[in-house]
Amino acid sequence: MSKKILTVDDDPDIIVFVKTVLEENGYEPLIARNGESGLIMARAEKPSLILLDVLMPKQSGIRMYRELKSDPELKDIPVIILSGIAKRTFLRSQEALTEFGDEPVPDPSAYIEKPVDPGELAETIARFVK
Amino acid sequence: MNTKKLLFVTQFEELWFDALQSLMDLRKAGFNHVVFLHVIERDKVAMRRGKGYLKDEEVKLREIANVRFIDWAESLFEQGMEVGAYIVVGNVLPKIVSTVEEEKVDLVVTGRHKRGKIQELYAGSETVEILRRTSTPVLVYKYMLPSGKINEKPFEQPLIALDWSDSTDRIVSYMLNFKEIIRKVVVVHVASDKELKGPSAMEIQAIRKANRQKLEEVCERFQKEGIDAEPHLYIGSTCEQLEKAAQEREVTMIVAGATGQSKLKEFFLGNVARNLAENSAFPTLLIPVQMKA
Repeated sequence: MSKKILTVDDDPDIIVFVKTVLEENGYEPLIARNGESGLIMARAEKPSLILLDVLMPKQSGIRMYRELKSDPELKDIPVIILSGIAKRTFLRSQEALTEFGDEPVPDPSAYIEKPVDPGELAETIARFVK
Repeated sequence: MNTKKLLFVTQFEELWFDALQSLMDLRKAGFNHVVFLHVIERDKVAMRRGKGYLKDEEVKLREIANVRFIDWAESLFEQGMEVGAYIVVGNVLPKIVSTVEEEKVDLVVTGRHKRGKIQELYAGSETVEILRRTSTPVLVYKYMLPSGKINEKPFEQPLIALDWSDSTDRIVSYMLNFKEIIRKVVVVHVASDKELKGPSAMEIQAIRKANRQKLEEVCERFQKEGIDAEPHLYIGSTCEQLEKAAQEREVTMIVAGATGQSKLKEFFLGNVARNLAENSAFPTLLIPVQMKA
């Protein structure tokens, strides 16, 4: 049975691109368009990996990542951030939230800044999904 | 304190990142989530004879807005804020209304969008329409004050305009939500000339005294919360006098209630909220008749 990969992104072009890469590499793509529905889907489907954008409506990838890593049932799912937001900003924002009293969270499994080459995306996913 | 959401509507004309940054004091009042909205107006990408729908133009405009929003979002994320963004094609007003509903925002911040008279007759004022259709307060923001100074803390010294209608209590209660960032309020009532056309000086003095007493009662509510407050009674045309009071008292914004007049009545009789939103040199915070639950 093919492994499920959840993509959380609001950009329709990116969704088409990622879906194609995933299907061509034998994965089953799951799609959510914001952090809120991404979290619901992650809880329901328990995917093998999550590809997560940062700047999205309703709930950003920063908050969704924090919720994933604070949930005992989801915290071990590898998360690859795929975003136009710089890695430095992502890490600093997590530090800022920790300073405001939240628990510290580990760094993401990988961080890819958009745009991404299909080969690089497939290779990065394969490193975490055996 | 609950996290509150602010919708920042920008067409990249009046409102830029420095304007947004000046509103970051709102964090002390619980606003921790900013949602950006940029609307690519349909006529910029609409069907053209021989060219069809300008898809390439849409992609270009989307990417320009996206680059700006990413830059702004990075600054806010690093300050520990939550940020979201919408870049959509359509008409501004319906897109604002749908985003307010989708995101359940607590405050809309927008620039001045003025419609032509004929368009207004059919569609009403854009700001008043947002108030009417979303029941959400709207801040029509102007980053530069008439004095030429940058408005670094718009909530620091607001002028609160009260007309003693049912909305008075709601406006005062709403403004008390911002007590952490308000230093002083200037409470103003404008009495019309007609109101003072009494037969004797005594009657006019009685009207003055009654208004003054109401103003002082409102001031006391702010003072109890540790906010300095001063009452002022002006006489004349409401918008003109509010503008004059705002300049004299060096306020940082004008706050007023928005009444639910019909579009036709609003068009012929005018509407204080609409006039302030469109013509005041100061930022204008308009509080709707019925607030959302």
